[in-house]
Parts: sequence; C-alpha cells; structure tokens
Amino acid sequence: MLKRLLFIRGAELIALAILATIPLTVSNTYVLGLLTLLAIYGILLIGLDVTVGYLGQVNLAHAAFLGLGAYAAGLSVSLLGFGMLGALAVSMAIGLILGGLLAFPALRLEGPQFALATLSFSALSTTVLNEWEGLTMGAQGLSITRPELFGFSLKAQGFYWLCLVLLVLVWLAMRNLLSSQWGRAFEALRDSPIATDAMGVGTYRHKVAGFAFGSSLGGLAGGLYAFNFQYLQPQSFTYDLMVILLLGVVLGGRKSLWGAFFGATLIVLLPNLLSNRLLFEIISGLGLLLAIFAGAQGLKNKTTQPFQAIAPVIAMGMLVVGGYMVENTENWRKAIFALMLFSVVVGLPDGVMGFTARYLTRLFRIAPPDLPPASALDEVLPAQQADSKPMLELKNLKRYFGGVKAVDGISMTVRTGHIHGLIGPNGSGKSTAVNVISGLYAPTSGDILLQGKSLPKGSLFKVARTGVSRTFQNLQLFGELSALDNVMLALKGVYRSPLPLVLLGFARAEEKRAQADALALLELVGLQHMARVHARDLTYGSQRFLEIARALACKPKLLILDEPAAGLAHPDVNVLVDIIKRIHQRGVTIILIEHHMDVVSTLCDVVTVLDGGLVIAEGTTEEVKRNPLVIKAYLGIADDTDVPDVIPAVI
Amino acid sequence: MVVSGALMGLVYALIAYGFQLTFATSKSINFGQGELVMLSAFFSLSLLNWGVPYWLMIPGGLLFGVVLGLVVERACVRLTLEQKSEGWILLTIIFGLLGFSAAENIWGRDDRPFPTPIPTEAMQFFGVSITPLEISVAVGVLAVMGVIELFKRKTLLGKAFEAVSADRDAAELMGISARHTIMLSYGLSGLVAAMAGILISPITTVGPTMATALILKAFAVAVVAGLDSGFGVVLVGIFLGALESLTSFYLGSGWREAPGLILLIMALAVRPNGVFGKASIRKV
Repeated sequence: MLKRLLFIRGAELIALAILATIPLTVSNTYVLGLLTLLAIYGILLIGLDVTVGYLGQVNLAHAAFLGLGAYAAGLSVSLLGFGMLGALAVSMAIGLILGGLLAFPALRLEGPQFALATLSFSALSTTVLNEWEGLTMGAQGLSITRPELFGFSLKAQGFYWLCLVLLVLVWLAMRNLLSSQWGRAFEALRDSPIATDAMGVGTYRHKVAGFAFGSSLGGLAGGLYAFNFQYLQPQSFTYDLMVILLLGVVLGGRKSLWGAFFGATLIVLLPNLLSNRLLFEIISGLGLLLAIFAGAQGLKNKTTQPFQAIAPVIAMGMLVVGGYMVENTENWRKAIFALMLFSVVVGLPDGVMGFTARYLTRLFRIAPPDLPPASALDEVLPAQQADSKPMLELKNLKRYFGGVKAVDGISMTVRTGHIHGLIGPNGSGKSTAVNVISGLYAPTSGDILLQGKSLPKGSLFKVARTGVSRTFQNLQLFGELSALDNVMLALKGVYRSPLPLVLLGFARAEEKRAQADALALLELVGLQHMARVHARDLTYGSQRFLEIARALACKPKLLILDEPAAGLAHPDVNVLVDIIKRIHQRGVTIILIEHHMDVVSTLCDVVTVLDGGLVIAEGTTEEVKRNPLVIKAYLGIADDTDVPDVIPAVI
Repeated sequence: MVVSGALMGLVYALIAYGFQLTFATSKSINFGQGELVMLSAFFSLSLLNWGVPYWLMIPGGLLFGVVLGLVVERACVRLTLEQKSEGWILLTIIFGLLGFSAAENIWGRDDRPFPTPIPTEAMQFFGVSITPLEISVAVGVLAVMGVIELFKRKTLLGKAFEAVSADRDAAELMGISARHTIMLSYGLSGLVAAMAGILISPITTVGPTMATALILKAFAVAVVAGLDSGFGVVLVGIFLGALESLTSFYLGSGWREAPGLILLIMALAVRPNGVFGKASIRKV
C-alpha cells in the first residue's frame, strides 16, 4: 500500500512541484509561455484521449472544439462582460453541448463513418467561424482582453498557475472517472458492445457521455487558449492542428494520463525542435535508434510481424536522410509529423508511455489494493418466490430474415421458478428465439410478455433493464477486464452517484460495496480466487462460468443460458450443473438451451422442442424424448420404421 | 449554373466510387484519397510539361494513381486489417499528410493551370449554357465507372472481386486470395482517383489544396449514398453538386461547403447505412 502511494502518487506530486515552482526560479517570459501552453494542451489532450483512447474512435473534431471553446470564451467576455471563471464555464458548456449534439448521430456508427462525421463537423465549424463575420470578425481575427479572476487581473505568471490548477483538477477528475463504473464501461464497450448492452450498461449512452465530456475539456482548453493568446483566427483550428493533436495522443500513449501529458510536452516543444537544425538531427537520430531497438526486440520475442519492425525503421531512416537533403526542415513540417506518427502507430501502438510503462511494471511489482470480504449472497441475489405463475409468455412470435423464417410463430409459457429447457436440432430457431427475447433482434411480429407486461422490443439494453439477463453461445466476455471487473460492470442497483459526484471522487464507497457484491457472485460459480485475473487469461470452462456470474450481476428475474455446456470437458459439465442448481435455489427462472440431453434431463422441469422455427413438442423430458415428432426431427427417421424409443444422450 | 454544378457533382461521385471499391473488399477506405487525386494531377501536369502528348499523358497519370493506391494498401492498410483494428484510418490520414507535404515542396504551393485540348467556350442547349469541357468530365466519369463495373461483372478477376465483397471468408475457402483482391481494389481506387484528378484539373487548376474541399464532399456523397450502394453515388453526387451551386448563389461562395457537410451529418442521423445502403444484421 505504501509502495503504491510512493511510486504512483509520488511521481505525480514531483512533476506537479517542479511545474509549479519553475516560474519562481526562472523569470524568462518565453519559458513561461511554453509552460502555459503545456498546461493548456495537457487539458486538451486528456479530453481527446477519452475518445481516441478509451472509446477507441478516431475523433477529428477536437481541434474544432478547441476553436469553438476559444471563441465562446472570447465573445462571452467582449459581448456579455463575463469574468474569467464565467467565460471558462461558457466554453466548457459549449464543448459539452455541441459535443453531445454531434455525438448523438455520429456515435451510432463505428470507425470510418464516425471519423467522417467528425471531420465534417470540424470543416463546418471552420466555415461558420470564417463566414459569420458579424460575430467572429471572420478571417480578420478576434482580439480578446483577458478578464479578471475574482477582481484580480492576472499577469502571465498568475495565468500560468490558473492553467496548472485546472490541469490538476482535470487530471484528478479523470482519474476518479476512470476508476469508477464509467472507466469499466469504456473498457467493456470496446471489447464487446453487444455484451455491454446486454448487461444493461448501455453502450451508446456511455459513448455519447464520454464524447461530450472529452469535448467539454476541449472547450475548456479553448477558453484558456483564448485568454493566453488574446487573439483568435479560424485558421488556427483546422485539420493541421488536429493531426498534431493526434500525434500528441498517439505518440504519448493512448489511455494514459501521463501519455497525454507527455504528448502535450512534445507538441509544445516541436516547433523549437524543427527550427533548430542540430536538435532536429539529434531527435531524428534517436528516433531511428529507438525504431531499430524496438523492432529488433519485437522480432526477437516474436511479438511483432516483420512489417511492423521494418516499416518504422524505413520511415525514421527517411527522416534522417531527408534531414540532410532538404534545405529548410520547417517547410517539410507536415512530412516530418507524418513520418513520426507513422512510425509510432505501426511500431509502438501503445505509444512511448505504454512502452516505458511495460518496463516499469516489470521493474516494480506493485500489488493491487486488497479486496473487501465478499457480501452475503442473500443481499446480492435475494431469494425470489417460485410460485409457478407465468414469467415469460411468447405469443405467436415470428422473426424472418428476408425469406428465411427463422422463427415462425412460437407460443410458449415459462413459469416462475422453473428451469425451462429449449432444445431442437441445429437451425431450429432456438438461438434466434433467444436473440429476439433478449432484444438483439426486433420480432417481425408477435408479443413477448414478462410477468404479464409487454417486454421492450429490439433493444438489448432495455430488455436487460427490465430483468432479463443472458449468456452467449459464443463467449462475449470483456477480455481486457479482470474477472471481478466483468461482474462489477454488470452489477445492478449499486452505482447511484451521478457523474459530477463521480468526478469529484465521491463514488469510492460504492466501489467497495460493488467489489464485495461481485465477489459473492464469483464465489457462487467458484471463481473467487481468480478475481484479479484478466478474463481472456481464464480457462475456457472458467470463462463460461464467469459469463453466468456476470449475467447474475444484473439481478435478473429471468436468466437465459445459451448452450452453457458447449465445448465443456466432462468434469466442468458437472460443475455447471451444480452452479445452475444453486441459481435455481435462489428462485431465478431459467431458460436453458442445451444439446447435452443428460444436462437437460437432470435440470429441466419443462422442455420445449423447436424444429423449423415451430414448437413441435412440450412437456417433461421423458414425455418429450418419446414423442415421435421429436425423434423424427432429430434423427430424420420415418414414423413407420424401427425407431429407438429415446433419443440419444448427446446430440 | 445548376447543370454545371451537377456535372461537378459527378466528380464527387467518381471519388466516392473509389471509396466504395475498397470498402467492398476490405471494409476500409483511404482517408488520403484527396491527396491521391492531387498527386496524380500534379504528376500528369509534369508529364505534359515534359512534352508527353495529352492522350498519352492520361494512361501515364492513371498508372501513377494505381501505383499510389498499391503503396497505400501495403503501407497503411494491410497490417491493420490483419490485426482487425481500425488503425488504417489514422495511417491513411498520415499518408495523406505526407503526400500533401511532398507536393507542397516538390511542385510549390501555387495553383497552376492545366492545359487541355478540349474547348472551353460555352455552348447553348435549350437555354442551358454548358462547356464541352464540362461534358467531357461527365463522359469521363461515366466511362470509367462503366468500364470498372463491366470488368467486375464480365471477367473472372472481377467475379473474384465480387466474391470477396460478398463474403471474404467463403471466398478464401474457394481459393480466392482476399489479399490480392484487396490490392486490386486499392489499385482500382487509385486509378479512379487519378482519373478524377485529370478530369477536374482543367476546371479547378492544380495545387496542393485542390482536393481538400473535393474530398470532403466525396466523403459526404459516399456516406449519404451508402458505402455499398453502387450507382447510388451518381444520383447523390449530382444532387449535391446542384445543391452547392444554389447555396453559393444565394448565400455567398463561403458557404459553398456547408450543404455537403450538413447533409452528411443528417444522413448519419437518419439513415446510418446511407439512402441506398442496406442495414446490416448484428450477430453473436
């Protein structure tokens, strides 16, 4: 614990102390200007890292938010007479609102379309800033006077400290955010957006909120930018700046506060590096050496492909050779950025900070903080009453894909407290039925009732919120999260603090409670000793059990298990049967899709058999096994020939 | 005026078509496509200045475009596709930046005229004034798209292209190399970009920034029409071109870029898969 404080917090405090005291010892205005810019870009890049790093999207609108924030701050001073804090609040609000407005349509999409939408947005905002001359003075530029802070007019030094204080606040807020449910959600939605929705967490709303939050930091940085330079032009906030910002985040290291800070330092120093010939040659030479070193390491450990090792060396080589050939490196600024960025993206995908962090963690092993004792299972998963009333009713449910009638009119009733088996040969419509119930697909027609009330249609998220939880036939775990975090993410009813309180760090008690609750569920499936292990490193069987624990964390009334025994070794199947029995004892209603007939006959109260998208039989396992229609569906034997009287144990 | 705007729109459609080609095979597009247009135009201009006759310059310029397309595929796309990441977005942006900087320093920052043997005097058709040059743009665009579509439908290689677009894994199992097909699509996309550069240069002049506005609108056309919609881009391109002429006439030329951008964001909000695109089904 002490070691942890010393290394992690210590580094932050030392950096802060150095940054805060430099202006006292050095009275050079040029240095002070660079430091101020460093603090501003630090805030800006932390904001950009939310989308580029944590949401994993290429965001090309951040420079535009810087510009919009800057103009908003400037205009609120000159037109409305706001003070410093008021103006900065306005610029943050502009970032938040416009970011939200852009995110609503744009984040319904992934990857390239999102990048395009943000690119269009930034081009559009430049057009508006240029053409709305009545307000922004257009290309002439807008002069701004730095307003007072609580009646004090800030000189360069005071303004620097203000920027630094804001950077520290942003840093702390970001750290609180990332160590809360929000941080987990960001991680989860990149791993599996479908599972994030199915656990009732809401991929889309987290993305929109994350993007808006990042944009508001862009706006805040814009406000500071405006009061720093006291002169604004629309051309300052175009595509060129955007590429430089991306360079900062990617080179520094995505998903890292230190990475953003390092990137900001780099951006601030770049113009100086490029104007000084000698410095440029040293930097490019060092870059080449780093590329060769990292490439050779990667090849030796077989962690990289040849292209990944060679391409950065070629790019950095071009930089070194080009540096000797061209007269003025300043003219080739963009090409230099491009080559550096290329090398980093290909060769060091985790950025410089990611690269060094790997070495540091190997040097200093710091144990994670201790976990609290597990909660009592009764608190986490209160026993539900098994009164055999209808839990789920399907009424003539249909789902067609084009001409394929995957589900063609299923009606069935699942009773409270039962384990209801759903079986049928491959392609009989089991999975589609489950996908329609859980909201992945909207039904073509028909009704789904949960405890007599209509279930939301076509939304995993809404269905999960109503109390239906599921596992997936093809595992959809959050591989980058620990087993504990996987369960914590899905926990329902624990996280109550609104976002502002989370940012201020008031969500820690909740976090402890969530850890204890999640541990109880891990205990239920026998994984309590694996709590800190990354989900992707668990054995296949454990991953299946973890999915069940995660589904239970949603505290469902109805749990759908989609082929939980598929691919399990025999001892694991026995463990699975025990786990399902234990869940059954808590009174949770279960729909079990399974091909292992022995599992089905041990567990299920009622079995429904599907074939060709229709219900062909329903009853106890024994009844169903003797039903000639079922035997025909499974074995394809005509009724009059010699039929075996039961279908085989495992199909 | 509206008609010549619509003809310009065909150039947007042509570049957007280049996006569709690569998107079909690899679900990726080249964000530096505008620089491909610009570099090919500069190269073609240099060919003319070296004394290459106009009709020989065209294949030379197209070949250059194909080579650039292949370089983009090798340097920026292949690795990230193998890693199933979206790193190609960033890498192609970076490639564009490199190309831009190179053009600035090799050919200079000024806009230069691009000579053409096709006459530029306006003619009158039913009261609409139009230049042969503009007609040549329309003919060129439709010819290139037509030839590529024919190639895709009638030749074996083209069938392989369609197969990879439809289902990459199944095509691989049938012995079609997805990698070669993706290379082919990037080569074709480079060719399309070069053609766009050669067609539009006589009208817009050649300069490092000639394609920055163009490419945004091509993006808009591609997204509004849907990245897998085939000839939908032509309709959307013509519509956007006409709309732009009207906007710059009524609001001033500074607002010329606005409709495309607004159209793009609105299209994403209302129909994320494009007006002519198909919705995809999520699978688990």
